Amino acid sequence: MQPILELEHISKKFPGVQALTDARFDMRPGEVHALLGENGAGKSTMIKIISGVHKPDTGDIRLDGQRVSFNNPREAQAKGIATIYQELSLYPELSVAENIFMGHAPRAMFGAVDWRTMKRRAAEILDSLQITDLDVEAKVGGLTVGKRQRVEIAKALSLNARILIMDEPTAALTEADVQRLFGIVRLLRERNVGITYISHRLEEVFVLADRVTVLRDGQYVGTDDVKNVTQDKLISMMVGRTIENLFPKLPTEIGKPVLEVRNLWRKPLCRGVSMTLRAGEIVGLAGLVGSGRSEFAQTVFGFTPAQDGEIILDGKPQKIRNPGEAMSKGIAYVPEDRGTQGLVRQMRIRENVSLAVLRSVSRGGFIDDKLEREMSQHAIRQLGIRAFSGEQVVNKLSGGNQQKVVVAKWLASKPKVLIMDEPTRGVDVGAKSEIHRLISELAQQGLAILMISSELPEVLGMSDRVLVMREGRIVAEFERKDATQENVVAAMMRESMDVTDAQPLRTAGD
Amino acid sequence: MSALPETKALDDAPSFSERLSSALFRQEGVLVLIGIVALVVLAFGSENFLTVDNLLNQTRFLAEIGLIALPMTYIIITGGIDLSVGAIVGVSAIMLGVSWQNWGLPLELAIVVCIITGVIAGLVNGLFIVRVGVPPLIMTLATLALYRGLAEGISESRSVRGYPDWFEELGQGSALGLPTQLWVLIIFAILFAVVLARTTFGRSLYAIGNNELGARFSGIPVGRNKLIIYSLSGLMAGIAAWIFVSRTTTTRSDYGSGWELDVIAAVVLGGTSIFGGTGTIIGTMLGIVLIQLLKNGLALTGVTSDATIVIIGSVLILSILINNYAGAIFGALTRRLRPTQRNP
Amino acid sequence: MAATAQPLVQAQRSRPASRFKLSSLLSQEVILALAIIIIIVVVGSVNARYVSERNLTSIFLGNAYIAVAAIGMSMVIISGNIDVSVGSLIGVLATLSGTLAVNGVPIWLSWVIPVFAGMLVGAVIGFFVAYLKIPSIVVTLGFLSILKGGLISITNGEWIRDLPDSFGLAQERPFGIPMPVYFMIVLTILAALWMRYSATGRAIYAVGGNKEAARLSGISEPRILMTVFILNGFFVGIASILFATQLEIIQTAVPAGVELLIITAAVVGGVSILGGTGTVIGAMLAAILLSAIGSALVFINVSPFWLRAVQGVLILMTVLADLLRRRRNQASLKG
Repeated sequence: MQPILELEHISKKFPGVQALTDARFDMRPGEVHALLGENGAGKSTMIKIISGVHKPDTGDIRLDGQRVSFNNPREAQAKGIATIYQELSLYPELSVAENIFMGHAPRAMFGAVDWRTMKRRAAEILDSLQITDLDVEAKVGGLTVGKRQRVEIAKALSLNARILIMDEPTAALTEADVQRLFGIVRLLRERNVGITYISHRLEEVFVLADRVTVLRDGQYVGTDDVKNVTQDKLISMMVGRTIENLFPKLPTEIGKPVLEVRNLWRKPLCRGVSMTLRAGEIVGLAGLVGSGRSEFAQTVFGFTPAQDGEIILDGKPQKIRNPGEAMSKGIAYVPEDRGTQGLVRQMRIRENVSLAVLRSVSRGGFIDDKLEREMSQHAIRQLGIRAFSGEQVVNKLSGGNQQKVVVAKWLASKPKVLIMDEPTRGVDVGAKSEIHRLISELAQQGLAILMISSELPEVLGMSDRVLVMREGRIVAEFERKDATQENVVAAMMRESMDVTDAQPLRTAGD
Repeated sequence: MSALPETKALDDAPSFSERLSSALFRQEGVLVLIGIVALVVLAFGSENFLTVDNLLNQTRFLAEIGLIALPMTYIIITGGIDLSVGAIVGVSAIMLGVSWQNWGLPLELAIVVCIITGVIAGLVNGLFIVRVGVPPLIMTLATLALYRGLAEGISESRSVRGYPDWFEELGQGSALGLPTQLWVLIIFAILFAVVLARTTFGRSLYAIGNNELGARFSGIPVGRNKLIIYSLSGLMAGIAAWIFVSRTTTTRSDYGSGWELDVIAAVVLGGTSIFGGTGTIIGTMLGIVLIQLLKNGLALTGVTSDATIVIIGSVLILSILINNYAGAIFGALTRRLRPTQRNP
Repeated sequence: MAATAQPLVQAQRSRPASRFKLSSLLSQEVILALAIIIIIVVVGSVNARYVSERNLTSIFLGNAYIAVAAIGMSMVIISGNIDVSVGSLIGVLATLSGTLAVNGVPIWLSWVIPVFAGMLVGAVIGFFVAYLKIPSIVVTLGFLSILKGGLISITNGEWIRDLPDSFGLAQERPFGIPMPVYFMIVLTILAALWMRYSATGRAIYAVGGNKEAARLSGISEPRILMTVFILNGFFVGIASILFATQLEIIQTAVPAGVELLIITAAVVGGVSILGGTGTVIGAMLAAILLSAIGSALVFINVSPFWLRAVQGVLILMTVLADLLRRRRNQASLKG
């Protein structure tokens, strides 16, 4: 069958990261083609290239055999490629019909909108999808997530989409809505619409998809018919990397529990999490994007205080209502997004390093320049920050060095518990291993470290224990010796807990 | 969908220190330059301008606006705004008059009432902005109406007169050759400047203005600090009201009307970015002085006060333009002169 | 990742469509209409002269020009901006109109030219906001002074007398209904339809509600903002004609507190100050309500000086209600 869409030799680089290298993908009419891969494998870059948001650095895109190039999403839409993102792009104030025809409403005289035709055609599209519970005049703002998604799908059809890209469509849906979605997908398939389906729920791939393509580290691994593969095979395609054995893990004595969390709740993404962290221990927290890891960490840190559950430090239950209280009790959180959460980029290194601990570099409220300078010199030395001096503005530093400044800032608060959220994201290899060495040293000095990371080699190489979160709960725990890439990924993605390789120490943490 | 690591977008924006130094060296430098030019021009306009008497007298007027401009600098640095300051002055002044004349309180107590009114008014602003989340623009626009309305309603637009002599000391007296209120302004200005530049509180304001989220993540008590600055704004307005009444020995409900324009213009003229994140008290004081000089000089050359506000309004818009674009231009120029500091 | 993810459109920022009949009954417009009726009834029973034909007419008539200006202001606020200079502009344009008329310019021109002048001023303001990216509060704060100061220094607040007889547009009463009321109702309805159904109108909502989504839909934010401010100038121009022609003389000063009245009408009318939602019909009703309240204060012997305080409270109440509504939406969508 002649493919509608073909992408070949696609490469794409962003500052600091090679998102795709010589990758390929194709779509046939009337097929559901699943695109799989871990976080950072390149799936979202690929679909953004298909939908015209990005242009590839190299490679060809061919539509019906003809080479095409999209300068913006509208051009791709015009050629029949529609995308439904996780974050919906509807206008809540406007009606279903208006949203469906946003940007291409049927016109009458003088450019006015032809309302009757628009409503009629909207109703027709909904009918063709067997959607009978949507009123075309209802305001989108009042609809449930499931209904809004159906409006998005109708919108794509109104553009005569031949290819529909769905990115994690079931992530926010109820079971009933998921089934409705599957029904619609099947209908579309019958109408020869090609559907590119991204999902982390492997069971959905087997239910819906005809073919599956796997990407890993920005590279193309393989494509096969779904009936020819098993879950295990897919998982091993997704993770098959060798672990870099450059992770300096120093022998450390693991002490008593420093932090204990019991049944911590903070809706919507922290649903009854329990765990323990001991002095000198490095616990890796793995999970997919959206599994609730950062939310959990931010709840422990008091940024989004807990609604229920207990936080116990050194055996004593604590109430943590804001980051200030967390800090004073010895908890530090190095945030995921260093640009917006970790640093004040317009300020200097010295000012950033002291930001969380201004009290300790000041006397009676007045900042002591000398103390502050000493603190920043110490930080620069301890972490090997490459900069002219502590006076350099943080904006001008490389990603790795910026990350070190954030870490330095939190080390200055002399924490007992250090939570690091994606500590080496966007950091070059050299700085990465320096940061890893630092983490080991800190553990050796007795800090209890919780390391949230989407990079499996990092998690497996550094952790004494690995916890896996999924949809707000801890679903698996592995000791260092039992953790492998396969069983961690399986835990991240699988619905149920029938893991074969390792013995989970605990089942779901609720 | 994984987030993209690092984008270049922020690298090209002027950094904090670049903006600061461009503000200091360019804006302040320009200000002083303009100030000198203005002095010369205005001096030609009227022979009364450059007399010690006149200049000292002018400081009486600028003290009131100057006091309010101090916390306004803090507020604008954090990215907020307070449009209600003029109205707070009005209602505080009225409360002074009302509590003295209608309630029969001793004048000393009435002064306290005046100042407390200001603090409460500012605190209300702060509470709604911080706890409820009303954007500062809207909140202070609403309280601009509310407080002015209260002033008008309580006083029924009648004015109060007849204050005792000692009361006038503050507004009309002198100490060591300088008007009393000038001393008050100088003392407060020094206080505010030192706090802003050298204390943890001041540092936190810059952090909030540059990256409020980052400040929160760093454990800075953002909400508490914002409450403090809005209350300060009310406090200084209350004090300014006291000085004003003392100077004019009457209380009227339209006091402070239009002051927000002068204050904000002065703050922006002095180099504080309307978007927040940079600013100094020195700059604001220079701005205040310049604006007062302008007003006075123009008045002495026969320009009406109405025409003067045309100038002030234009100054406001022009300062922001310079602020916005000078920083980028300055940064671009100096980047070419300095070796690149970016690490590979 | 929730802390950093930016949804393309924050679905939470809206008023919920009427899933429950009750909440649709309580739309802002309905509340306002009810409030007007309640005040008329209550005050009327306390003081019968309140509901005399003359007073009722004056209630609807009194703020008609405010309602017209509030149409433009609503658009400005929906787009996420504000304009505090409208009061000064009304003063300037009213003076312009009167001056033209007494100097022999054909009457219709002396009505039309100020409208174009208003659009011109709007274009200048729009340029500063849309292309020079200066916050609208500051630009219009500056213009407030520039226009006000300019006006008074040129005219000294003198009164314009000897206006030609046919000048009094606002004094006409076709079929017994005052002309300004026609303007108010017709313009409001036209504007409401336009905002709701035209592409540009919806683009204004989009820009105010979510800039990113608007940009991805191909909407040019600077062009929409320019349009908004020019339109605002247009409506202010018409309002100033209505204002200028209501009496036999024109005072060439800026009517006090007008911009606040206009902003209050828009905000209380349901135009959310956070941008992106609201209608102009509510603004018209709110203008009438404010007029009714102002008149009521007189008739129940409360000092009219409290009117401004009432405006401030009304703004606050409306904003609070809006905030609460949005927060409730957010919570229900997350839970």
